[in-house]
Amino acid sequence: MMRDRKAVTDLELMEHADGEPTGAMAAGRIARDPDAQAKVTSIQQMSELVRGHLELSADAVHDAKFAAMWHRIDEQLEAPRVTGLWASLAGWFDRYRGHVITGAVSAGAVAALALVLRPGVPDRGIPGLRGGAIDVRPVALRATPEIDLHDTPGESSTVINLEDEDGHTTVIWLTPADTVEGI
Amino acid sequence: MTERRACVPNVPSVVNKVGQPASIPAHGRDPLDDHELVLGAKRGDRDAFKTLFERYHRRAYALALGVVRHPDDALDVVQEAFIKAHRYLDKFEGNAGFYTWLYRIVMNLAIDHLRKHRRENPVELDETRLETDGDEPLLPRILGGNPGRALHDKQLRARIDLALDELSDNHRSVLVMRELEGLSYEEMAQAMGCSKGTIMSRLFHARRNMQKQLLDLIDHPSAELVADLTGGRSGDADDDTPANEEAAPQRAPAARSRR
Repeated sequence: MMRDRKAVTDLELMEHADGEPTGAMAAGRIARDPDAQAKVTSIQQMSELVRGHLELSADAVHDAKFAAMWHRIDEQLEAPRVTGLWASLAGWFDRYRGHVITGAVSAGAVAALALVLRPGVPDRGIPGLRGGAIDVRPVALRATPEIDLHDTPGESSTVINLEDEDGHTTVIWLTPADTVEGI
Repeated sequence: MTERRACVPNVPSVVNKVGQPASIPAHGRDPLDDHELVLGAKRGDRDAFKTLFERYHRRAYALALGVVRHPDDALDVVQEAFIKAHRYLDKFEGNAGFYTWLYRIVMNLAIDHLRKHRRENPVELDETRLETDGDEPLLPRILGGNPGRALHDKQLRARIDLALDELSDNHRSVLVMRELEGLSYEEMAQAMGCSKGTIMSRLFHARRNMQKQLLDLIDHPSAELVADLTGGRSGDADDDTPANEEAAPQRAPAARSRR
């Protein structure tokens, strides 16, 4: 008796409304509860609305559309069916056409990028990148460097005077004289 | 599963275009049953298969439309389903009815279609939980009068469309299978490849969300909807009294009397 007084759950209500087995006890509780009965009716009305709406939508489709559909189906039925490996491949391609095309485009883009950026190719800059690569050519010299050679005991020296855009630069290069041990 | 006739809605006062299966001849001779037609189609009788098509295309379309939600997509699904059905007819052993077999093909293709063209779905609630949320139970809201008549109301039908669109794919698929085909929970679980508990959970949430979407329309019906529900049109539109105030007292008793 205690259990019989327990409030009926919405899932029990739903099972009852859908004609699923719920047991006599649940059915009894629903029968005694006006709120539960209203919910059951509400579920049934919702079913009627959804079903009626979809069926009326189906009825609203013009016969000509279905006639055209049958025509297309009939053509497919007439067409000889290709079997074997080719048919399987064609079927696979048909199913994954979108993925295959996306994959091919991506692979092509990667290959093109790799081709443009591969080492050993004269740098023409990255297409689309404004300004291209950094210019690393040596700066122009303003005058021919003056080079003086001096021989001093045990070594020789080279003095290079450079004039460039940074001003005057003197480089003194000392080279020890070749010595052979024991001579 | 109980086989219903092709696309015959339980909608009083609404004339159905396909109230009779296409194969019923005018002179009253018994129509060929599905089994005979299937046997004929297996032997290569194109007309037999055409009769099956004519018998079930609208019903299949209603199912596909309910799931994929777009008329052209639904037509594509139905066309593909009949082509597939014909292709694999030899494998159909006839243990279940032809339509039972066909609706499974339609359902699978419709679900495949949704997977291929996946849209942003509404957030789906945890389906492992069977308990209903305490704060959001099913609502005891009832349309007064005849809900079948209410389908004359364009606003109501537009809202049903909107509410179906708002459901997640899984919730909508289960709801459509249940409401349109009257499948049991066990049959739906087999068709969807999930547990009966999951089906119950999906169905519960689908119905509750549908109720929430239609709540204001039920609680505050327009004058036109009240007229459609009660079967009368005169006077209501001119009456200044809000429709819900007039209809509300009648709603619950009217609904209860239907049981």
